[in-house]
Amino acid sequence: MSKDLERALSKLRFDDQVLGYSLMTKVGRPFVSFAFPDELFPRVKDSINLYKKDLRLMTIDTDKGLVVLSPVDNNWILTVLYIPELQLGLAIAKTKNVLRLLEGIELPPPPEEFEESSEENLQVLESIAINASAVEETPTISGTVASYTPQTITKAASVPVVELSPEDFNISTTTIPKRGPQYSTALTLDSEINSEMKSLYRNFGFDVLMLVDGSNNVTNIADSMFQPTGRVIDLLKWSATRGIIIAPRVVEGSAEQTESRSSGSMGKYVKCPKFEGALDKVSGDDLNIIRLCDGKKTPEQIAEATSLPMPKVMQTLAKYRKSGLKMIGRTIK
Amino acid sequence: MPKIENPLLLGFYAYFVDKILSETSNIDEANQKLRDLGHEIGKQIYLNTEIVEKTKDSVTTREDVAKLIDVVYKILYDKKPDDVDMKTARGSVRISDKECVWCQEVNLEGMRGFGYCEIFSGILETILEFKGVEAKVFQEMSRATGAEMCTWNVRLG
Repeated sequence: MSKDLERALSKLRFDDQVLGYSLMTKVGRPFVSFAFPDELFPRVKDSINLYKKDLRLMTIDTDKGLVVLSPVDNNWILTVLYIPELQLGLAIAKTKNVLRLLEGIELPPPPEEFEESSEENLQVLESIAINASAVEETPTISGTVASYTPQTITKAASVPVVELSPEDFNISTTTIPKRGPQYSTALTLDSEINSEMKSLYRNFGFDVLMLVDGSNNVTNIADSMFQPTGRVIDLLKWSATRGIIIAPRVVEGSAEQTESRSSGSMGKYVKCPKFEGALDKVSGDDLNIIRLCDGKKTPEQIAEATSLPMPKVMQTLAKYRKSGLKMIGRTIK
Repeated sequence: MPKIENPLLLGFYAYFVDKILSETSNIDEANQKLRDLGHEIGKQIYLNTEIVEKTKDSVTTREDVAKLIDVVYKILYDKKPDDVDMKTARGSVRISDKECVWCQEVNLEGMRGFGYCEIFSGILETILEFKGVEAKVFQEMSRATGAEMCTWNVRLG
């Protein structure tokens, strides 16, 4: 147990974007810490107490950096301090990666008394685990596993086992997000998901979601809010993990996910000649072809319109490449 | 006549881009398919070129990654990238190329977000993977869609 825990935590230790971390009890007492600034503990503790009931994943902006809190199970909270420049989405994703490593590890509840932030606590935890396994299974574990359903967030601090991470979604500037089943709940004040969104993104989340209507793409949303697209994408990815919006999933080379991709289709890709040179330099015979090169018609369409054979059209197009004819690639519906 | 380097390569690549665009329904998917094509090609390149000999066995730092990129550029294109930026963003390296071979004389309109030269992302990703570096590479800008130069982001995982 201790080995696995150490391994998971060492992932954080060797990440140069991580400034420090602390494994805390559910009341916010630091159990095992590494380079986590002491002065941040009170603030973290306050936040934990504030969201005691339904703490899921929370971020706190501090002058030291970005703190991401996430419950590991009913008893433990992992707190990581990232460098201030790190993107929120990335920080969350990194935390979730570590949580995934912690998933298989059976962490016993913390002892009643312990010295805060001590490295030796890992061994303490191990001995508790050994004792506990000798007396059959520990109550904690059965609690977490059995009561895992997406709705019972409050009770089982559901480890994101089946949960999708923001990295699972493929959102780019051209993606058109659609409203998902949780959309209206997310916009309802004081709903659980709304408070979670608020704690993560403040009012930014609300503003972006208002613009999600199934026809605006990410660029439009970002532009109309004068916000960087990266920030909008972060929020949308998070929203997608909560079912607030529907967005395409990352394809891992398999066909099964293609159906779920809902972003707008792009139509047929064609290449259309466009003449940008001087028409008076075009010889009379070629004029009827070149005149049609407006960047919107394909060579086939030009051949059809002029009733000339395709080879003749291609020949003419090639001839005028040096005097300002370009091929424009575009998609047509 | 526009001057094109390596018309044979461009001919092949244009063929694949056309094919991929005709088989996919959105730009993200097309980008991914081009990267996948690059993954396949990356293996060939790794086996058949001197990249193995000319690079360190274990690539660990960002400086090593930058050096590797230089070697890959030298071997594939016989030139240096215009810029390999390691400073602006922690955890990632940005490659800039003002005369990228893949998108010569390609003009795309209204295809924002399409990485015409994503094949190189795949190639580089695979080579890095063989060198033990976990990285995600994607094209940020392409001249094909109107940018001044092509840039790729190598996000080290």
